[in-house]
Amino acid sequence: MSTSTKSKDVARPVPNPKRSLITRLHMGTGVVVGVILAAIVYYLLKKSLLTYTDGAADPLSPHDNNILLLGTMFTWSIGFMIGIGALIGPWRWLVGKDLTDEEILYMAGDGQGVKRYFKYCTDHKVVGIQYLVGVMTLLGVGGTMAMMIRTSLARPGAHFVTPTVYNSLVGLHGITMIIAMIIVATGPFGNYIMPIMIGAYDMAFPRLNALSWWVLFTAIPVLCSAWFLGGIPTGWTAYAPLSIQAGPGMNAFIATIIIFAVSTAVAGMNITTTVVAMRTKGMKWNRVPIFVIGSTISVALAIPAFPTFMVSMIMTGLDRTYNTGFFDANMGGSGWLYANLFWIMGHPEVYVILIPGVAALMEIAPVFVRKPLFSYNAAIMGFAGIAGLSILVWAHHMYIAGWAPSLNGAFMVTTEMISIPTGLLFLVLIGTLWRGKPWMKLPMLSIFAFIWDFLIGGITGIYLSDVPADGYLHGSMFVTAHFHFTLMGAALTGAIGGLAYWYPKMTGRMLNERAGYISFWFVQIGFNVLFFGMFMAGAEGQPRRVLDYAALYKNSNLISTIGAYSVGIGMIILLWAVIHSARHGKVAPMNPWGAKTLEWTVPYPVPLTNFDELPIITSDPYGYGKGK
Amino acid sequence: MANSSDHNAEVLTPTPGERLTHFFARRDVKRTTVLFFLWTALFVVLGLVFYPKWMPEIMSKEMKSAESIMIWFTVISAPIAGLVLAIATNSFMDMHRGDNPPEDGPAIRTHGPIVAVWTVGSLVFALVAIAWGLIEVNSQAVAAASDAKSAITVEVTGSQWLWTFNYPAQGIETHELNLPVGVPVIFDVKSADVNHSFWPVQLGVKVDANAQVTTVIHTTPTKVGVIEVKCAELCGLYHAYMETNGAVMSPSDFNAWVLAQGGHTA
Repeated sequence: MSTSTKSKDVARPVPNPKRSLITRLHMGTGVVVGVILAAIVYYLLKKSLLTYTDGAADPLSPHDNNILLLGTMFTWSIGFMIGIGALIGPWRWLVGKDLTDEEILYMAGDGQGVKRYFKYCTDHKVVGIQYLVGVMTLLGVGGTMAMMIRTSLARPGAHFVTPTVYNSLVGLHGITMIIAMIIVATGPFGNYIMPIMIGAYDMAFPRLNALSWWVLFTAIPVLCSAWFLGGIPTGWTAYAPLSIQAGPGMNAFIATIIIFAVSTAVAGMNITTTVVAMRTKGMKWNRVPIFVIGSTISVALAIPAFPTFMVSMIMTGLDRTYNTGFFDANMGGSGWLYANLFWIMGHPEVYVILIPGVAALMEIAPVFVRKPLFSYNAAIMGFAGIAGLSILVWAHHMYIAGWAPSLNGAFMVTTEMISIPTGLLFLVLIGTLWRGKPWMKLPMLSIFAFIWDFLIGGITGIYLSDVPADGYLHGSMFVTAHFHFTLMGAALTGAIGGLAYWYPKMTGRMLNERAGYISFWFVQIGFNVLFFGMFMAGAEGQPRRVLDYAALYKNSNLISTIGAYSVGIGMIILLWAVIHSARHGKVAPMNPWGAKTLEWTVPYPVPLTNFDELPIITSDPYGYGKGK
Repeated sequence: MANSSDHNAEVLTPTPGERLTHFFARRDVKRTTVLFFLWTALFVVLGLVFYPKWMPEIMSKEMKSAESIMIWFTVISAPIAGLVLAIATNSFMDMHRGDNPPEDGPAIRTHGPIVAVWTVGSLVFALVAIAWGLIEVNSQAVAAASDAKSAITVEVTGSQWLWTFNYPAQGIETHELNLPVGVPVIFDVKSADVNHSFWPVQLGVKVDANAQVTTVIHTTPTKVGVIEVKCAELCGLYHAYMETNGAVMSPSDFNAWVLAQGGHTA
């Protein structure tokens, strides 16, 4: 099975790719077509909606305004995809043809330098870098919002922002970070590194790979527009009926989620298929690097989970536009229906975020400890166990919702059981550390931070999942602190470790070590101070998502804010290091860490098809150690 | 799987006792053991000291139960956290610096008994947590059923951004939540608009307020004092300010308050 990026000698005459439409399209034409189409649809919709209501210059009703905005946003997304050339291939199929080999080679970005990053480029390495930049942008935006939230909460009294702005900050910080964290490891590393790791020329569906990134890209301006449409008042959970009552900014949230769900579905299918079908000769399932296993389990878990979020958003959108009443109790609908749909996505989703981060660290550990990964099978059982159980635990977010209290016991059982596969993940890491001398480099440091952070996140999770304790803690700052320990302390730490580890392969240069260390300590110490304060505030009884608080909570909030600034400083240093080292860092050797996985056998820049000849695998990549 | 700690096995097979002595005589094992006790002690102290210090006054059995779970689950998990952190710290202290990787460590691929013990151990731990939770949930449900006859009912309505309390038997409606001590209380909670979550903080219970459906929680205040009522579900612009105060008072004070509000005592 050769892939589309392999050029073949074809006898028939082909048109000069220089004159093909595909060569003229890029991000710029995408934006132009997207904006023009969106403007046309906006104009037409507005015209027709005004006629439809009661004519003349009447302002639109909220429902009509929602129709107008949603229609415009989706048109922008589709228009951009047309303008960047995503539909050229499908169009050719429609008329019974396909792209020519030259065009396929052109779309792979062959010999186009920096330009290919702004094109509909099918090379998985280009897509990986695009995702990396996208993730860093989203983390930057979400992080800035977090700093504003913490600044606002530094003292009681709500002096910094208005209630509308505060609620918008909370909701947009939440959804921005959730989106960023879902793609933080599987986006950059899953696209750039993973196909090389399994010995493939490219992903299984290179054009879908480009599609997944650029569709996601169209969601970013839509998400940002929420800010200019009055923000969202609902938090990232977007509970109905608050979301139905909400102003025009909510439309941006709905459109973002629907667009994002399309992107993740495409990316998830692509990654899963690639790993199942395109591993090189000899790479049996028990020889696949653990990062690949983890990422695959993660995206495979996302495939069934995210559509429910999409569906719940479509239903919210219909409630807001055509008054369908799915989630409106006054019309026979149910807010609990929304909560269920949301959390059926929401709980698997946190493990979609967590697993690739842990898997990246498991990939790193053997290299720096110079020992085999301890109990590869336990690692897989851990991931698979978490993924399996995670679809059965959603209603632990609804213990106190009043919905089916008699089910609380059952959901408590499934939730507590997750501590067993989670325990296996710890065992694998500490087993690998045992009796080794860790090589203290940036990626290794992340492993230690992960162990501490995830332990705190895990232990606090144990009592949050016990119904009586949740009766007190639910909806408090304690919950916020808990999930930041798991999502940020564990998953983001894992992803940053992965970045430090794979940076030499993705940029050809070493990440500035000194800046990396400084950043690491600022972030980790700040992080622990920040969420220690938040555990304290939560235990004291401060609800989450509050703009203002009583004097009782002023110490804990001040501690949190001080910690937050430390995290902010550390993240800025890391950002500087990542940008600076990409141009000025020390040139990296082909295999700077002495690792045994395949991505370190290819040079930088990685050739278009990764390998001249696909390697043959005879063992797993963890053959370190004396006396094997 | 071969037990790789046996590289230095002598000619005579050592007895299990000798092997254990040998194992604990190793430098890294000694250090890990010390670290284990230190980390465990730290977590025990964290659980025993911080939560009671932070949490508000305990004014019901439910609140007591929440606090016990937070304290004792921390204490129970302390040895596990201690072990994980001891091994991590021990490894951290053995770090290798420099630009070249250290030499390879022992090729330990896995260790069947350790994986088995670890898995069974975490299963037992999970079962303890589950059993504890289920027993608590059950005892609260039993108490709710047996107290139902003697309970007073408070109808709680959340609206953006105000709590309203209606005492049907007493015929009063207020915005402060006053309750007699020692008398079981049933909260019938609903919402006039979006979702809210009714949270009388010191009573340690919570339930969402929904439109068109009534949700119920039950508790018995055990101590006289001030209670704060908050909203624990984001409900729009002034969510943060959707709070009110109240008190648990002696039955005679409660009756006096009811009469002063224009109500009637049972």
